[in-house]
Amino acid sequence: MSSVIVCHACDLAHRIEQIAPNSRVRCVRCRAELYRTGTASIDTAIAVALSGLVLFVLANVYPLVAFEVNGTTRVATLIGAAQGLYSQGYAAIAALVLFTAVLVPLTQILAFLYVLVALRAKRRAPGAHALFRAIAALRPWAMTEVFMLGALVSLVKLAAEAEVAPRISLLAYGLLMLALAALTGMTPTEQFWQWVERGRHVRSGE
Amino acid sequence: MSELLTGRQLGLLVCTRCRATVRANPVGRSRCPRCRAPLHARKPASLATTAALLVTAALLYIPANVLPVMHTHQLFSDEDDTIMSGVISLAQQGSWPIALLVFFASIVVPLLKLVALGEIVIASSRRSVRNAQQRSRLYRVIEFVGRWSMIDVFAVSLLVALVQIQSLAEIEVRPGALAFAAVVVLTMIAARSFDERLLWDAEQRG
Repeated sequence: MSSVIVCHACDLAHRIEQIAPNSRVRCVRCRAELYRTGTASIDTAIAVALSGLVLFVLANVYPLVAFEVNGTTRVATLIGAAQGLYSQGYAAIAALVLFTAVLVPLTQILAFLYVLVALRAKRRAPGAHALFRAIAALRPWAMTEVFMLGALVSLVKLAAEAEVAPRISLLAYGLLMLALAALTGMTPTEQFWQWVERGRHVRSGE
Repeated sequence: MSELLTGRQLGLLVCTRCRATVRANPVGRSRCPRCRAPLHARKPASLATTAALLVTAALLYIPANVLPVMHTHQLFSDEDDTIMSGVISLAQQGSWPIALLVFFASIVVPLLKLVALGEIVIASSRRSVRNAQQRSRLYRVIEFVGRWSMIDVFAVSLLVALVQIQSLAEIEVRPGALAFAAVVVLTMIAARSFDERLLWDAEQRG
């Protein structure tokens, strides 16, 4: 069974014989990725999303970094980073930090969990389409890895003046970054929709 | 004319969200049958939207670099820091790799985005056929590196949260940070609202 796939980046049409698992196909003209499929199972993706959720909680509960000067220690949490900006009258930057470093990663994890658990249970998930579109639209706004580097820069800046130390949440946040990268890696768009369509066939076959 | 056929010639559309290839509906608006996102042959008003966002971002690039982004208050000294002076003090501290990282992420990347996206928009509006390959490669680099400019925003947010020891040492946000964050967000949206296929459309008419 062959089908036509149009490149999203240059509009060139390609005839594809069969979408094989664990493959990556590029456009012959502009080299954009037409699709990618993996070998991960839904179970693996759910497991990674669950670990991401645990890490997210840890990263938010404990302090990220500690700063010591003249015997006084101050710690900053993830939410605290946004709060400081807010209290100084920069609500817009505070919202941006909260959105890209906290809310988007959390939304991604929860949305994936909801959709994947429903798929695994072969149940209809109301709102799954809207959630999927949200996941796709939010992807560039999840900035866990950028936040990690930002934290590193702030530590280096302060190290010249005072005692600074990374705390447990920074480790949790780093692991969360890896979990999110793994989750995104094992749920490429085409793979995701293959799972969805397989689920549909199962349901309609009953 | 080459033997290559495009989606447009075949009456096929590709969904920008889930990348499904769909038969174009000649009457009225249609939605993707797979993810139900609205379908368009090309992103609507792509060039005008990208150009408007770019001009705004270019104007804000000036205050983002001229105005201080943060203010450090210490017992015997007060200091304003712009993006560039932050980079210089990192270098003077001897943290060369971090200084280079911030220099690239905060100064080179935003400038590259403004210049390169501007060139791409102008070339597309003139329906330039040459160099579509290079421009699309450049566009993908821009889309990939854009988010990394947020490093400085995150670093400032953590510094503000940490260094709040009344009268001894305090770090405050300054308006430059707002302009800078706006440049990052606007250029990211500008890159996403540009339709890459416009770079290739002219080729078909050759």
